[in-house]
Amino acid sequence: MPDWKPQILRRVARLNLVPTREAEIVDELSQHLEDRYQELLASGQSEDAAFRTSLDELKGEDLLASGLKPVEKAFYREPIVLGKASRNFFESVPYDVRYALRALRKSPGFTAVAVLTLALGIGANTAIFSIVDAVLLRPLPFKDPSKLFMLNESLKSIGFPEVPASPPDIVVIERTQKSFTSLGAFQNKDFNLSGGGEPEHITAARVSASIFPMLGIQPLFGRTYTEQEDKPGTHIAVLSYGLWQRRYAGRPNIVGQIMGLDRLPYTVIGVMPKNFQFPLPGPKDNNEPAELWVPMAFTPDELQGWGDGYNYGVLARLKPGVTFNQARADAALVTAEIKRVYPPAMVKLLGATPAVGLTPLHQAVAGPVETILLVLMAAVGLVLLIACANVATLLLSRAASRSKEIAIRTALGASRMRLICQMLTESFVLALAGAVLGILIAFWGTSGLLSLVPSSLALPHSASLGGWVLAFVATVSCLTAVVLGSAPAFRLSSVHLQGSLQESGRSGTPSRARHRLQGIFVAAEFALAMILLIGAGLLIRSFSKLLETSPGFRPDHVLTMSLPLPFEGYSNATQVRQSYQQAIERIASLPGVKSVAASNDLPLGSDDHEVLQVEGRPGSTPAMTVTWALGDYFSTMGIPLIEGRFFTPEDRIGSQPVAVINEETAKLLWPGEDALGKRLGHPFPNMMRTVVGIVGDVNDGPLGSKPGPHFYLPYFQLPDDYIVYNNFIIPINLIVRTSSDPASLTSAVVARIHSLDPGLAVAKIHTMDQEMASSVAAPKFNTFVLGLFAFLALFLAAIGIYGVLAYAVAQQSHEIGIRMALGAQRRDVMRLILVRGARLALAGLAIGTLAAFGLTRLMASLLYGISASDPLTFAAVAIVLLAVALLACYIPSRRAMRVDPMIALRYE
Amino acid sequence: MDQILSQTEWKKGSAEMLILSLIEARPRHGYEISKLIEQRSGGAVRFYVASLYPLLYRLERRGWIQGRWVEKSGQRRRRYYRLTRQGRRVLASQLRGWREFVAGINRITEAENA
Repeated sequence: MPDWKPQILRRVARLNLVPTREAEIVDELSQHLEDRYQELLASGQSEDAAFRTSLDELKGEDLLASGLKPVEKAFYREPIVLGKASRNFFESVPYDVRYALRALRKSPGFTAVAVLTLALGIGANTAIFSIVDAVLLRPLPFKDPSKLFMLNESLKSIGFPEVPASPPDIVVIERTQKSFTSLGAFQNKDFNLSGGGEPEHITAARVSASIFPMLGIQPLFGRTYTEQEDKPGTHIAVLSYGLWQRRYAGRPNIVGQIMGLDRLPYTVIGVMPKNFQFPLPGPKDNNEPAELWVPMAFTPDELQGWGDGYNYGVLARLKPGVTFNQARADAALVTAEIKRVYPPAMVKLLGATPAVGLTPLHQAVAGPVETILLVLMAAVGLVLLIACANVATLLLSRAASRSKEIAIRTALGASRMRLICQMLTESFVLALAGAVLGILIAFWGTSGLLSLVPSSLALPHSASLGGWVLAFVATVSCLTAVVLGSAPAFRLSSVHLQGSLQESGRSGTPSRARHRLQGIFVAAEFALAMILLIGAGLLIRSFSKLLETSPGFRPDHVLTMSLPLPFEGYSNATQVRQSYQQAIERIASLPGVKSVAASNDLPLGSDDHEVLQVEGRPGSTPAMTVTWALGDYFSTMGIPLIEGRFFTPEDRIGSQPVAVINEETAKLLWPGEDALGKRLGHPFPNMMRTVVGIVGDVNDGPLGSKPGPHFYLPYFQLPDDYIVYNNFIIPINLIVRTSSDPASLTSAVVARIHSLDPGLAVAKIHTMDQEMASSVAAPKFNTFVLGLFAFLALFLAAIGIYGVLAYAVAQQSHEIGIRMALGAQRRDVMRLILVRGARLALAGLAIGTLAAFGLTRLMASLLYGISASDPLTFAAVAIVLLAVALLACYIPSRRAMRVDPMIALRYE
Repeated sequence: MDQILSQTEWKKGSAEMLILSLIEARPRHGYEISKLIEQRSGGAVRFYVASLYPLLYRLERRGWIQGRWVEKSGQRRRRYYRLTRQGRRVLASQLRGWREFVAGINRITEAENA
């Protein structure tokens, strides 16, 4: 059978086509000639004649080439000139991409591991960044939001560096300030909503008329209210889109309708757009997005309440051209004016007058979650670095097995730049695949993560993968690719031709330099994992300390609910007292109820602070939590009696005014003395109370916060006007201690309340166990998320060290074979590998420990009960990491031990 | 035939159409195409390797036909060409033009010979 290829090749050679195309043409044409030849033979021609006739198909030397020339332009090969750079840098890109895809397809295992590793790293970064973007980077959804500021006051003399403002002070601020175009107050307020369905308890807000224009948000329809309408007695309301949809089914004729708020008729004047949210979650007070807004309408009582009611948010818009510093200087002038007009009696009581400060609104909103977000961002950054190091070691291992290929290409004239481009293209393809998969992971991960966010953390419940996020992914992926590609690329491009071609005959000992580079990567992985694990370890230790903390009361078997009595129908003190007394009595008679009490606040969430006076002493006490107790408050709540007695039903109006204090108060006010029988109380109106009991300290704030001074007094000893006034502002909470599961008694308890008044809306039904859980929900979330990333880091680092050692064992089986042939014991071989692994891990641990000492300080504010350099955590993490490293080394070392010298040597 | 058009000129105008129409029904390889042209024209029209394949590659580059290597057991692999959707449209328009041209010629010649 004649060989047609040389004949065809000779004719197309001068076209200088790329080899693959040339081979394809030669293949196709020789098949044609062969078919022709066979046919001629079959028709009876001699071999010689058949050969000549077939060859005649090519029609001389030139026709084929000149026919192909215009068609095959796309496949012209660039002439190889040794050392000459390519004509066009980008010209080679499609070839490099195709080559990279082919090379990656050839080793699916490597590709899968690399892409998955990168996807985890990039995905975690994308997920956290999309939350960071939503919370920290994106401007607030208001008009010109950088000009919006929150104003606050500080009462350092009684222990409050930053509190919301008080109404009389707000009036002074508004009158005196020169930096803001407008200024308004807001305050969360709960309402009993009736009309158009079952009565319900809703979160609303009193908002100054100036707030809506200041935010620059127009109502969806209807209108907001004017300054003239922002007066007591104007009963108008603006609905949120959510409430309008939920309760009024989005009826278009809602404007002008009447609704009942605390049994008073309010006219709906407008509906706000769907995404409008105010107040914003985040700040410490007045942070619940309202379902409905009513005019602020300060009452005369509020406006006269000097030194009282520090619970009103103030929002202001900076004048154009005024800087933050100028506004701060202006605030000092306002502070001076407040000092000038403050009633002298209050100055004496507080020891000083409040100072006015301002914070950018964005900072007030995002500040509380900034630390945890930055810690998480750093954590996922570390995870990505570990992933990169992991894939880089894999690429290095691959590069080693491809050194022969590289050497040949170099010998054929490929420049170093060409080879580096080629390697970088491969890592770009890997990074791109990782990014695509990573975005998918981020998409699910973000929604999964955000669904776990407790309400106490002001994080959004959804975060979109918007333009910024995608730009971030693109940047991160490109950086990843460069980091990944550069090490193996530069290693490869300096391959010694002769050495590689010689070495390639047998897979001898891998080069020392590559070994060292891989070692550095693995050690770096362990260092990074160490930092992350220490971070997570600290949070875990801190969280377990938090859980061990006693809150000072017994939270089990306690049901609580808020029972606001509307002003209409409960406008005099006798009515209010009777209603609560009856509610307590009716609930107490339920089977399964052990005792019932009520109070203005509950442990873990007390927010009502007052300054008191000690009889016979000048000045005032530090701010104290004040609790009004009804029923068997202390025994129902499980607060232990230290000395004296609890309140009894005889402590009522007309009897001797009494109080119970906690140990902290006793220590603070009467150190070394017996506090029982001492007298303290409110200065206005002057009512001194005799201390009759001392009880244990209770966590007023979240679990883990330091219990402060606490003052308990019997509700039934409060003066009439005080009860009526405060009933409007602060609803009473019922507390029920049960003998069985408290949640199961909910409907029975609510039924007893409705037997008293079917129109009462009961709100905030919780068990104290739930309150405990939500009190630690934020640290629990932080611990969980950081723990998750730390585990991911540990896993990746373990895979990294395993991969490097397993590869080294495979490459060194020859050397191991020789060692064993020369008498090395299996144990020695195993030790050899284990020691190598342990050395890498230890180097990483040492560097990681040092870095962690520096870095964990940044998260000190997230820790409870331990320091950021807690030695136990550092030691435990080091041990865990070392154990994991040794475990990861164990498998390859076992494999090395089983190397059969005969097979290992014969194989060569 | 030589009297009407020289074979080269004739081919230039219609070679593409011949190839397209031969693979309209089913994919064929190069040798098969050249055989069919030779047989059906009674030996009057012949394509040699040197001109057939550049033409096939040009049609493929234009996206009218698409070649694919097919390996059948016991045979060497061959490249089969099939008509693409675009090629099908081109063929239809070329055939229409050809028929109009022939009809025109016929009307002229019939009138002269009548």
